[in-house]
Amino acid sequence: MVYFPFVKADKYQHITDQQLLRQFYADQNNEWLGILLQRYTLLLLGVCMKYLKNEEEAKDSVQQIFLKVIQELQKYKVEYFKSWIYMVAKNHCLMKLRDRHGKMPVEINDRLAAAPEEETDKNAILQNDRTLELMEAALKELNPEQQRCVTLFYLEKKSYQEISNATGFTMLQVKSYIQNGKRNLKIIIENKLKDEKIPS
Amino acid sequence: MPDNYKDILSNPSNEVDQETLLLYLQNKLSEEKKHEVEKKLLESEFAEDAIDGLQQIKDKKQIACMVEMLNRDLKNKLKKKKRRREKMQLKDQPWIYIVILIFILLIIISFFIIQKSLHS
Repeated sequence: MVYFPFVKADKYQHITDQQLLRQFYADQNNEWLGILLQRYTLLLLGVCMKYLKNEEEAKDSVQQIFLKVIQELQKYKVEYFKSWIYMVAKNHCLMKLRDRHGKMPVEINDRLAAAPEEETDKNAILQNDRTLELMEAALKELNPEQQRCVTLFYLEKKSYQEISNATGFTMLQVKSYIQNGKRNLKIIIENKLKDEKIPS
Repeated sequence: MPDNYKDILSNPSNEVDQETLLLYLQNKLSEEKKHEVEKKLLESEFAEDAIDGLQQIKDKKQIACMVEMLNRDLKNKLKKKKRRREKMQLKDQPWIYIVILIFILLIIISFFIIQKSLHS
């Protein structure tokens, strides 16, 4: 396996983000923030690249986001760090785009700062045995492209590349069919469960 | 019913580490491992946005260097901040004020002693 000398494994990986934040709030030692922020450098660079589409601007933005995060964390307590820093990064990029174009282009998603991604909701659905029984029928209700990609990805454990080779769809299409297929499956199953609860 | 049905609605808690993500971006993972990474990425909007962006970087080999430079810059900034805070703390040390006060008092006392000795 190729080794990246520059991106060393995090020797503090046994410490969670929340524990690092707690340590920082307790002794105000910036080194904790350093450890925490370095976990997100690659992701931040990616998010900035996605929105700004310019490598130099993306790198500058990551540095500015680091500074902003350091300042904000000294003032406020943050609970869900990952969601919060993602929101800070997105807002920063949107402000940059606004400056570039002279207008506000996209909405800001408050949900991100509130809680980690719908975990409880998903688990509740998963715990329901009936959900899995309904899955087979729900899969058949997807459009053929979504059905094929979801089946190949989740049931046959193929990668995007393999699915792309097998179907002739582009990688982007494959990803989009899986994302949308998964979302639609959830909706179909939720509706089926609701229908079962309502007596006819 | 295949057990894999569970995977469609499950939320794998393990996150992809930076090294694996870099290998994924450089297309250096087995198809099986790629599938694992992609499954985890589908669960995180943050990671998905990041991968979309990182895939736009032409020279994927440069990404690790860019990350290293950003990390080094972050460490330097944090060190500077720490040094500045230590200086500020030094200024706030009460014993410095006490020493200065004692020093001033000593000067005043010596002044009076000298004056008195000159008069006498």
